Order: sequence, then structure tokens, then C-alpha cells
Amino acid sequence: MATVSEVGEAYVSGHQRRWEGFGFLAPLLLFALIVFDVPLLIVVFWSFNDPETGFPSLGNYAAFVEAGSYARIIWRTFLIASEVTIATALIGYPLSYWISRLAQRSQLVAIGLVTMTFWVSILVRTYAWIVILGNGGILNRWLQSLGIVSRPVEFLYNEGGVAVGMINVLLPFLVLPLYAAMRRVDPRLIHVAETLGASRLQIFWRVFFPLTAAALGASMVLVFILSLGFYITPAILGGGRVPLIANMMDLLINKFARWEMAAVNSVILLIVTLVFYGLYQRLRERAA
Amino acid sequence: MPKARLFGLTAVSAAALMAFAISAFAQVKELHVMHAGGQWGDAVAKCVDADLLKEKDIKIVVETPGGYAKLAAQAKSGAINNVSTDGSTSELSRMAAEGLIEEIDWAAIDPKPMFDEAKNKYGFGSSYYSTIMAWRKGVPAPSNWVEFFDTEKFPGKRALPDYPDYVLPFAAMADGMTPEEISKGIDLDRAFKTLRRVKKDSIWWQAGAQPPQLLKDNEAQYAISWSGRVVGQEGVETSFNQGMLDVSWFVVAKGATDEQKKMLYQWFHDQTIPEKQACVAQYISYPGPSPELEKLLPKDKLDQFPTYSENKKVQWLPNGDWWFKNAAEIEKRWNEFKLEQ
Repeated sequence: MATVSEVGEAYVSGHQRRWEGFGFLAPLLLFALIVFDVPLLIVVFWSFNDPETGFPSLGNYAAFVEAGSYARIIWRTFLIASEVTIATALIGYPLSYWISRLAQRSQLVAIGLVTMTFWVSILVRTYAWIVILGNGGILNRWLQSLGIVSRPVEFLYNEGGVAVGMINVLLPFLVLPLYAAMRRVDPRLIHVAETLGASRLQIFWRVFFPLTAAALGASMVLVFILSLGFYITPAILGGGRVPLIANMMDLLINKFARWEMAAVNSVILLIVTLVFYGLYQRLRERAA
Repeated sequence: MPKARLFGLTAVSAAALMAFAISAFAQVKELHVMHAGGQWGDAVAKCVDADLLKEKDIKIVVETPGGYAKLAAQAKSGAINNVSTDGSTSELSRMAAEGLIEEIDWAAIDPKPMFDEAKNKYGFGSSYYSTIMAWRKGVPAPSNWVEFFDTEKFPGKRALPDYPDYVLPFAAMADGMTPEEISKGIDLDRAFKTLRRVKKDSIWWQAGAQPPQLLKDNEAQYAISWSGRVVGQEGVETSFNQGMLDVSWFVVAKGATDEQKKMLYQWFHDQTIPEKQACVAQYISYPGPSPELEKLLPKDKLDQFPTYSENKKVQWLPNGDWWFKNAAEIEKRWNEFKLEQ
């Protein structure tokens, strides 16, 4: 039977163990604090700063609400990010599934092909879409020569063009973690389901999919958050007609020198993103 | 022990070598400036900066791009990392009015002969560039801005600069304003009316290299472009008619030390040497402000230069003060226009 002191000791040692590695973590924590958290606080400070007087005020937030265009562009960015996330999941899940079913060697080749897109700069990949989907691009020339269309179809310089470019860049971010999760699914579970007489569809929906749904959700959150910050793709494939948050920031900071407004936009974006993330966490907890 | 002695010797010689390296390094002084870079930046690096390092041990370190907003940001942060930036006439007015820059000490530059219009109280006119119309070979050629923006008689996509200064004047002219009226100030309502009308046919570009590429790829049939990027390009035709001739100014950031200013003025001085301007002009047709430059340029390419007399007389110069006074209004309306699309 454990005495009170023994329990106390166990508690203390557990407590100590928890703090033992702290020394190793401290440099990283300090680094994150200085280069990330402190500047973030400065951004918050800027957003409440009146550029004329230098005193704190809500004037910048009032200007944000009054202009309306800032809120609209944040809304559009979230909309496109959601579309891109869903489309990436619809393409990426079957792709990951297919790769995880291949023979060992083919899996290596397929994953290599997916990772290879990381080796090509985003700029080059973005321009490549102009060569393929542009008004004078391969696809349009082909459609015209076959007589399917008489004038070029506008694939680019609109939201669709931006989405295509973003999906292309973001696909590996979904496929790689998802593939890893699919490989971790215990094959015996599938065998057991087969033995018990489940159909292939039932096995997928009732055994395999629930086991990978959490990884799918996490990858989708990753893709969603990454897609909020795209700059080059909307600038080039959107033809400057579909500005997203990053393009607006560029305009405010690099052309107009309006740091306060950029700070307000950053703070609002951060809050909205955190709310979304919180919602996602709650959904996940409820599912678990 | 020989081993220890060898070690000692190595250490001493290594230290001596390092001291030598440091002293050699210290002799070369770095001058940090910002400018647009690109083909022009590469040419200046070859024709001006390289000699400055060789002859005067001054190393020009460039950050791209520069401009009003970056200089303003630097002033706000309090650390003057870059002592100069380039900028358009409207940016120059704005920087001067906001107290971001100092007056130029022209005596200290001691320039070779240069056009008076390139000598400003606050700005060193480093080169000329134009913003002009260009089109893909084979499509109907527009002769003025009304025709350029007439999407019915001249069908096709327009590649337009994603910069208010470089597109609003032309859009206003498309609605009937004359260059004389434009140099007094732009009617923003008329400018945005044109841009809204051609919205469906516009592709907006940010980098100077984009418009010639868009024309060559047949993505756009018409473009407003900086002259050096399109004039003389294969498959692209251009006209200087009603184009905007502007001077690319360099400034002195407030807070620069005397030593930095001395180096900066040396750099400016070197840029006024006609031979160096001719060297830059062989890479990109942005001529420097020397009256003697035209003699040094290849005869058959003279008509590519924005300052060539035939080109200069059909163009107009922007009004920097108007841009400065209306900056807030332009900014607001430009934002609204860009975001409503």
C-alpha cells in the first residue's frame, strides 16, 4: 500500500520530469518569443495607433468598417480558400488512397512525383499554367483547332484561374500527411471486416474512412491556412483582377505606406482564423 | 615539442591572415541603396558600380525594389539602412513634402553637363523612361489613347500597369482629356469610368517584364508598358505618341551620415559621365541626362530612346505636385476600384 509520502514523491518526480527538458526547450521558446510573438504584439499595437497623434485610438478599426472593401477582400479570400481546400481534398484523398494501394516500389515512384513539384519554384509553376490554360495556351489552341469553340475560353484571369494555381501548389501538403496516415491503418482490421462479410464499399466507409478522417481534417486545415496567404498566384493567374489578402497587404505596405491599416487587417485576419481553428478543434473533440 | 610549435605557428599565421583579411575588408566601404533593379539595375551594376568598387573602394549594395513607401517605412523604424532610393516624379514630391529626404548638394556631386530638368532641389535625375502603348504585331494599331481603350474597334485584352500613377492619366485621356489638361491634374471620375468600361478586357501587371511576355504569348493584344521593356522587341510594336516621359529620381534619405552622403554623391557623379550612360543604354533604352549622350548612341537605334527629339516632342511630363496633393483620394478610389472587381 502506498503511503502518502510515496505518492507525494511520485508526484514530485513526475513534476520534475516534466520540467527536466525545459533547459533544452528554452532557446527555441525564447527565439519564438522574440522573433514571432513580440512582433505580433507590435502589430496589434500598430492597429490601435493613430498615425496623426501617436495615441491609441479605434480610428483605424472605424476606417476598416467604413471602407467595406477590406472586409470584402477578407471574405473573398476565405471563400476561395474554402473552395480550394474542398477541391484539394476531393482530388487529394483518392490520389493518396490510390498511392497507398500500389506495390511498394510504385508507391516510392508516385510519392516521388508528388514531392517533385516542391523542387520547381512556385513562380515557374504559376507561369506554366499560362502556357497551358492561357488565351493563347495549349488547351485553347487545341479546342479551337478541333472546332469545339470559336474564341478562346477564359480559364485564367478570374477566380477559377487562381483556384487552379493554388490547388496545384497545395496538393502535396494534403497528399503527404494523408498517405502517411493511410499507411498506418492496420491491414488486419480490413481483413477482419472482410472475414465478417462486409462489402468493399462497407469496408471503405465504415472502417477505412473513419480511421483516416482525422488526418484528412488536419491536412485540410493546413491547406486552408496556407491558402489564406497566397500572393504570386492571384497576382499572375488572377491577372490582378482577383486580389486576395496578401495582395492587399502588399498594396498597403509597399505602395501606400499605410502600416496601421495593414495592421488592422492582420489582426482581424488572425482573430477570424483563430475562431475557425477553435471551431475545428471542438468538432474534432466531439468526434473523438 | 615540434607538434606544439607547429600548432602555435599555424595559429599565429592564421591570426595574421585574419587581421589582414579584416583590414582589406574594412577598406571597401558599402553604400546601401534601393532601386527598381531589373535590366536597368543589372546594366548600372556593370557600367557604374563595378568601376566605383575598383577605383574608389565603394561597394554599392542594392535592395530592390525601392520607392516612397519603403523609404517611409525605413524612416518610421528609425534605422536608416538605405541612404537612397529611386522614385517617380510623384513619389519625389511626396517624399520631399513629408520630410523624408534632404536637399541635394549639387556642388558636392560636381556633375558633368546634364539637362536642367533632371536637376531637382531634392532629386538627382538618373535616367529617363517612358510609359507608352504597345501592341502585338498584326493587330490593328491604335494611334492615341482613345483608340487604345476602344475595345470595339480594337478588340483584345489590355495588359495594364497595376500602379495608379502609370494607368490613370491614360485612362483619363481615353475619355477625352488632353495632355495639357492632364499636366494640370487628372479628372479621376473620367479615368475610372474608362477603367470600369474595359474591366472585362484587362489583365493587370506588376513587374515590368510581364507586358512584353503577355504580348508575345498572345495573352494580351495591347499593353501599357515601360518603354525600355517593349521598344525594339521582336513581335511587338510601340508608339511614343501621348506617352508619359518621366525622370527616374534618386534622393538622399534624411539621417544619412556625411560619410554616406559623400559616397552617394560620388555614385551620382559617376552616373553623369556620358560614356557610362552610353554603356547602360546598350542594355536597356533608358538614357541618362547628359546632352552629349545622343552622339554616343548607335544611330540606327536612336528612335528607341524616350528622349530622342522626335519621341520627346509627342510626350508629356507628369505633374508631381498634383499627385502628392491628391494622394489620399487617389489611394482610396484606387483601392475601391481594385477591390470591387
